[in-house]
Amino acid sequence: MTNEPVNRLELRGVTKAFPGVIANDTVSFAVKPGEIHALLGENGAGKSTLVKMIYGIMQPDSGEILLNDQVQYIPNPKAARGMGVGMVFQHFSLFEAMTVLENIALGLDDNISHAELERRIADVLHEYGLSLDPHRIVSTLSVGERQRIEIVRALLLNPRLLIMDEPTSVLTPQEVGQLFETLRALSKSGCSILYISHKLHEIQELCEAATILRGGKVVGECDPKKESSRSMAEMMIGASLKSVEKDGGRKFGDAKFVVTSLTLPGEGDFGVPLNDISFTVRAGEIFGIAGVAGNGQNELLLALSGEVTSDTGDAVMLDGEPIGAHGTTPRRFVGLCAVPEERNGHGAVPDFTLCDNAILTARNRKNMVNYGVINSSIAMGYTEDVIEKFSVKTTGPTSTAGSLSGGNLQKYIMGREIMQTPEVLVVSQPTWGVDAGAAAAIHQALVDLAEGGSAIVVISQDLDELLAICDHMAVINEGRLSKTHNVGEVSIDEIGLLMGGVHGDPFATAEMTEAVHAH
Amino acid sequence: MLIELTKRKEPSRQMLYLTPVIAVVLTMITGGIIFTLLGYNGAGAVWEIFIKPVINPEKWQDLGVKAAPLILIGVGLSIGFRANVWNIGAEGQYVVGGLAGTGVALLTWEMEGWWILPLMCVGGFIGGAAYAAIPAFLRTKLKVNEILSSLMLTYVSVQLLYYLMRGPWKDPEGFNFPQTRLFNDSQILPTLTEDTIIHMGVPLAFLIALVAWFVMSKTVFGFQVRVVGAAPHAARYGGFDENRTIWLALLMGGGLAGLAGTFEAAGPFGQMVPQFPTGYGFTAIIVAFLGRLHPLGIIGGGLILAISYVGGEGAQTSIGLPNAATGIFQAMMLFFLLATDILINYRLKIGEASAEAAQ
Repeated sequence: MTNEPVNRLELRGVTKAFPGVIANDTVSFAVKPGEIHALLGENGAGKSTLVKMIYGIMQPDSGEILLNDQVQYIPNPKAARGMGVGMVFQHFSLFEAMTVLENIALGLDDNISHAELERRIADVLHEYGLSLDPHRIVSTLSVGERQRIEIVRALLLNPRLLIMDEPTSVLTPQEVGQLFETLRALSKSGCSILYISHKLHEIQELCEAATILRGGKVVGECDPKKESSRSMAEMMIGASLKSVEKDGGRKFGDAKFVVTSLTLPGEGDFGVPLNDISFTVRAGEIFGIAGVAGNGQNELLLALSGEVTSDTGDAVMLDGEPIGAHGTTPRRFVGLCAVPEERNGHGAVPDFTLCDNAILTARNRKNMVNYGVINSSIAMGYTEDVIEKFSVKTTGPTSTAGSLSGGNLQKYIMGREIMQTPEVLVVSQPTWGVDAGAAAAIHQALVDLAEGGSAIVVISQDLDELLAICDHMAVINEGRLSKTHNVGEVSIDEIGLLMGGVHGDPFATAEMTEAVHAH
Repeated sequence: MLIELTKRKEPSRQMLYLTPVIAVVLTMITGGIIFTLLGYNGAGAVWEIFIKPVINPEKWQDLGVKAAPLILIGVGLSIGFRANVWNIGAEGQYVVGGLAGTGVALLTWEMEGWWILPLMCVGGFIGGAAYAAIPAFLRTKLKVNEILSSLMLTYVSVQLLYYLMRGPWKDPEGFNFPQTRLFNDSQILPTLTEDTIIHMGVPLAFLIALVAWFVMSKTVFGFQVRVVGAAPHAARYGGFDENRTIWLALLMGGGLAGLAGTFEAAGPFGQMVPQFPTGYGFTAIIVAFLGRLHPLGIIGGGLILAISYVGGEGAQTSIGLPNAATGIFQAMMLFFLLATDILINYRLKIGEASAEAAQ
């Protein structure tokens, strides 16, 4: 690396069109050697298409991609890896039942003996100060450790450019810190990093340059350290961002939603059992549940929405009425609505029209059914109302849910539940994969609903989100819920430790130290 | 030449209705070529099987009579298929339903009255539904795949038929032929007019298809079936129980197949005979898919398959085509339909190599 190129990566007028949409329109920018460069943009701004072209999954219709100042044609990911481009995807491709070493071996293009591979892995781990035991079975690893496998897999090829797609969405704050140190060490060694994220404060902390995409075009370049999160967000959405308006001195009403010692066995082989979960949400209150993915959030949502019922009705009470043994339909009748994390196939049926998706959950509260016959004009009217009030971008109530972008579908689902004016609303990951503009709208809608006297439970992995909208919060870890904290009094570090499994009770702490020693 | 499939943003509604037509046309072309290569008159075969029954008014009554059971069974199967319940054993439910209707007829053989026929129909429906309840129970309680259990039960039902025909239900005055007594006038489905073979079951089948269309598209029950089939998790979220839906779908499918069985026994057959199973239960699977699992489409699908039956019979005598020819044409139709269905979600591009491949 004596003759460092001027630019590690340069794009010149890269254009890619799909039927009906131009995903990238003459995109040009450059990344210097060793630079950590952020790629910012709303959902659908063309970020994924762009990195897919750099990684060889797709090829541009026109324009040039230069690596180390050389124009390159990148026919496939294998060629990209050969040219020194590595990528860590948002969703991992790992086999749970195999060891770290076996998983890494499977992902390599060349055939290397296990002993040689192990030596090289040890080198990489040592060089970047990463801790990972190559002989552990993947299913026993935390999400942060799993991500490290993907990073090591990429680093083994000595990349000169590493693409990271939303890498922190599944990590605890402490794990994010570790990741950033690794990335900084990489950048010192001359490897450039193209960092895709929508978490603006992370970009400010980590990145030296940012390219902002909107509607497939580059709309700005900036130094994130000189900008505020707000100004970057506004560049991203191309309009001024409305901050969530929340009345600080709100009064809460009586206890509305009370969960007492909710205990349920896990479903299937990978389900997390719920262990003695208790919390209370008052009228007008937003209650947050933080936690790293896979610690029982899904199970908790199913148990609260009524998709999984409990034997004891008293475990879940709404306005003093025991509903723990009720299914979703009777729970909706008494005013409990829910939004699950997965939009396609759970919160909505992708092949159904938006109108049919309204019938799915709103049919009873909105009187869409008479004697078993569906009144489609009421359903259409309601769907149109939701589309209008929540500014869902769609061609109309008869387009399929699957044709909407993630953010738009989420706005639709949230709107569908909120406009039923539920007494209690339980939502999981309300803004997961949603752009900043839509996220702000969803947050405001939740705050407004609470001001109207509803009790709201927000389950989220996004701490910023919880801190921004919640009044009280607790942390879920391995199916157990921590005690309730006052938002505003609790520190991020404290929450981070709870997310990592330190409950403050002796048993869990002992377990945790054991786990640490085991490494 | 490069053939490229690109995913459509929305499923094409046009293709949804067009692919059955394409499948029928491809069947005619390919079938014609195959039978020419086999040394038959290929073009003649297509003409005899697909065209002649349509242009010959004398055959129209036959079409109605053949289409009725296909439509009834196809409508019932489509309810299950919509819910991702793959009942392949409609033939068995058809046989058991026919036997149940026959049982009622044998119990009432010396009686007269308007109530006997409705009772036979109810018996047939219950018989078919009860036979479909076995795979429903196995699926919901023991997670046994309903494709296998319902299919295997078909062969059991045929043995049951043979046993009853040769043993307990054999006509005591029938010269030891393995068949039941002839049904009496109160047990035979009346024909619409005196000089037609169209029995009451034919308009009833069409009527039931219309009712099914209303139920499937306008009621919560139809919605439930569609949601469970399209997204089981979303169904549970929406408050629909998957097991309950599996039960209802199988009972409806079995019941309608059983009703079709009774219509056949009380209509064209007029008694129960060992030759009763004619494969309607299997052909109705093709009907259901050709009709896009939509009751109104199934009426069309039933008529097309009825054409191939009537035409196939004619072709045996007129140009000496083997009996199996009908089955080959019907199977090809399903094959081409499933193959061309990819065009609903994908766009076909045939042409010069695209820019990126040329580089």
